[in-house]
Amino acid sequence: MIASVQARTAARAGLLTLFILAAEWSRVLLAQRPGLALVALLVGGAALCASALGFPAERLGLGTSRFGLRVLGGLALGAVLLLPAAVRASTVPLLPAGFAVGAVAVSIGEEIAFRGALFAALEDLGGAPLAIVGSTLLWTLAHVMSHPPEFLGAVAAAGLLLALWRWACKDLVAPILGHVIADLAL
Amino acid sequence: MKKVALLGAAAIAYALAAWMVAPGFYDGFGPPAPYNWTCPPAQAGANSSPSAGHLTIKVIDGVSDANSAFTDDGQLVIGFLPGAFVVDGKTSINVDITPNGSCPKPAGLEFVTNIYDVTATAAIDPQKPANLVLRYSNLLPDPSTIYTASDANGPWSAMARSQPGQPFTIETRTTRVGYFAAGYPASSPPPGAVRVGGSQLLPIIAAVLIVVVVLAGLPLAVMRRRRR
Repeated sequence: MIASVQARTAARAGLLTLFILAAEWSRVLLAQRPGLALVALLVGGAALCASALGFPAERLGLGTSRFGLRVLGGLALGAVLLLPAAVRASTVPLLPAGFAVGAVAVSIGEEIAFRGALFAALEDLGGAPLAIVGSTLLWTLAHVMSHPPEFLGAVAAAGLLLALWRWACKDLVAPILGHVIADLAL
Repeated sequence: MKKVALLGAAAIAYALAAWMVAPGFYDGFGPPAPYNWTCPPAQAGANSSPSAGHLTIKVIDGVSDANSAFTDDGQLVIGFLPGAFVVDGKTSINVDITPNGSCPKPAGLEFVTNIYDVTATAAIDPQKPANLVLRYSNLLPDPSTIYTASDANGPWSAMARSQPGQPFTIETRTTRVGYFAAGYPASSPPPGAVRVGGSQLLPIIAAVLIVVVVLAGLPLAVMRRRRR
C-alpha cells in the first residue's frame, strides 16, 4: 500500500518535471522564431501555471493569511534579486514595454511551477530537503537553453533563495512578487 | 532562527553569484545579447575579443560578384550587390573588417558598439550602395544611428538608418568603406521605445524597495514582539 502511494507520488513528480522542463524549453525555442517572442512568453507562462492544476492553493504556498507580510517579503526578495545589478551599474538590459505582460506571465508561471507544484510534489516524495534541492536543480536545468553557462550560478542561487523562502515561510506570494519585480526591472 | 540564518546565507550566496555576472538575475527573455567588446563596459562581465572578417569577391566579366563580408562573430555584416565595386581591371576584390582597439570617445557622441574598420581594394559604385548591419548589445542603450569616419579619431558623420531588421541590429547603406560604429548623440537621452524598468531607474527601484521593506517591517516586527 505504502509502496503504491510512493510510486504514485514519484510518478507525479517525474511527470511534473518532464512537463515543466518541456514547457520551459519549448518557450525558449518558440521565442527564437521571428515575431513569436511575446507569444512564447504568454503561452509559456500559461503552460507553467497549468502544472499546478490539481494542487490545493495552500499546498502551493498561496493564501491570504498574513498577506501584508507576504507582500513585504516579496518586496524584500525583489530588492535582494536586484541589488547586485543596482550596485554594479546604473545601466542594465532594458525590457521593451510590450514585453512587460509577458514578463509577468512567465514570472508567475515559473514560481507556480517550480516553487509551487514541483516543490509540493518533491516535498511529498522526499521531504523539504528534496523539494529545495530538487526544485533548484530543475530550475537551473530549465534555464540551460536560455542562459549562457556563466549565468547559471546566479540562476541557481536565485532558485535556492526562492525555494528556501518557500520552505521557511510556507509562502509562494513573496517569491512570485519578488520574481515579477526583478523581471520587470531587469 | 535557523531558517532566518539559512535565508540570509542564501541571499549572500546569490549576491556573490550575481556579482560575478552582469546583470545578475536575469530571466524569461533570454540572456543579454552576447557581444564581444574591444573596450567592454563595466557591466559586461566576461568578455571575448571581437573577431575580424575577410572576403575575396570574384570579378566575373568585369563585374564584381554579389557577396557579404562579415566578422566571424557576426557583429558586422556588409553585403554587396552584383557590380557593387568599380573594378578597374581587377580580377578580385578583397574586403577586410577589423575591430578598432583604440576606442576613441568623440565629443557629442556615445558609441554603443565597437568601432570597425572596413577596407576594400576597390571603391564602391555610388549607384550600388552596400548594406551594412551592426549588431549591438542590450547592456547599453539602443543606438539611434550608425556613424562613419575616414579616421577612427573622427570627424564622425551620421548615416541614414535603414528599416530595422533583426533584433539588436541597426542597418544603413553605404557607398564607401571606412570606420563604422553605432551610437547616439550624447546630448540626447538614449533613444528607443517606451520602456519599463531598467536603465538608470534600477538603483532607485532597489533603494525604494529597501526603504519600503524597512519602514513597513519595523512596525510589523514591533507589533509581533508586543503580541508575544
